Amino acid sequence: MKLPDTMEGALILSVVDFLLCFVFIGAIGGVLALFPWLNRMGEIKETKK
Amino acid sequence: MYEQFMGLMYDLLVQTGLMQIWWGNVLMIMVGAGLLYLGIVKKYEPFLLVGIGMACIVANVPGSDLTQPGGLFHYAYAGVQSLIVPPLIFLGIGAMTDFGPMIANPSLVVLGAAAHLGIFVALIGAKLLGFTLAEAGAIGIIGGADGPMAIYMTMKLAPDLLPQISVAAYSYMALMPLIQPPVMRLLTTKEEREIVMEQPRYVSRLEKIVFPIIIAIIVNLFLPPVAPLITMLMLGNLLRESLVVDRLAETASGALLNVITLVLTVAIGSTMNADEFLTVKTLMIVALGLVAFLVGTGSGVVCARIMNKMSGGKINPLIGSAGIASVPIAARVSHVVGLEANRSNFLIMHAMGPNLAGVFGTAISGGIMLALLGAV
Repeated sequence: MKLPDTMEGALILSVVDFLLCFVFIGAIGGVLALFPWLNRMGEIKETKK
Repeated sequence: MYEQFMGLMYDLLVQTGLMQIWWGNVLMIMVGAGLLYLGIVKKYEPFLLVGIGMACIVANVPGSDLTQPGGLFHYAYAGVQSLIVPPLIFLGIGAMTDFGPMIANPSLVVLGAAAHLGIFVALIGAKLLGFTLAEAGAIGIIGGADGPMAIYMTMKLAPDLLPQISVAAYSYMALMPLIQPPVMRLLTTKEEREIVMEQPRYVSRLEKIVFPIIIAIIVNLFLPPVAPLITMLMLGNLLRESLVVDRLAETASGALLNVITLVLTVAIGSTMNADEFLTVKTLMIVALGLVAFLVGTGSGVVCARIMNKMSGGKINPLIGSAGIASVPIAARVSHVVGLEANRSNFLIMHAMGPNLAGVFGTAISGGIMLALLGAV
């Protein structure tokens, strides 16, 4: 479905985009919240060779 | 003999710029001088403003071959138009960025979405002013304060507006230390500005290596329209965090980024020719860009205030404005305003989390916009 080039289309685009932005960012945040578990799998030396 | 001599003198005069200069050129030369003053004397983002200011001046001296087809600035702009420059900038930025603050405190990434309300306010404003939906989307992205993303989106949605949008985006990014603080002070109390946040947790090297790989997969899967930019950002970051390709990381974040920055800034400045730039459309875009920045700053701070209340006073609302993507300028502004309130409060590392999340916020906003407008 193509958005109409009208104010209505602009409002729909803005609301949908803004809300989905929160959804995607929240999902990235959720993935990052699992990162501490990676440290249980092992570690990589911190210093350069 | 005399007539021949005068004829030759006239021919010489005609081929100089003196015969073509008009008041618009003089005005834009003053604008370029103003940008140089801000960059050199006030030291506001000199890496951006010096190149833009000088190229703006040159572009408004009629007769300069640098900006004409075949000139160096003309080819620099061709690189921008062909979308080679923005991904390379992101490669360099990724190679110099530590995403640790963002990984350490995942709850703050939501500020990277909240601070992008300005994009949509500007989009609606642009539509009200008579721009097409695609043009309005490109103008709105100025509010994301992400120069390469603004260029990328504009080339996809409204290539004719590239000069105005790129100049507005980069100029406002450089002027962020002037634009943001009044909004931040207006929307926060002194007590809130004094809040000292807890030290973020330690982020291991394994996490920092896995991060760019995971994000590249997520973005390519769910947001293919903006995948080129974010993938290059993550590649640069992986070069940095792997610690086994030092030369590549140093080149990407050093020499390559410097060259690309030079190309980009002269390309942007060279588009500020009075003939094309001094139009009502340009003024509207510049005004809308400012609205986008102001609203985005405000919405980020308000969201951070809400998070502060919900967390029992643990989050300094000043870091909310850093959700605007301009890394690390916005984070630095949060830090400086925080220092004014409390001389022992170092907010920079806390503000970097939302600031880095803002890069993804702009990419996500842009990717969804491209998908919904069918402009992939």
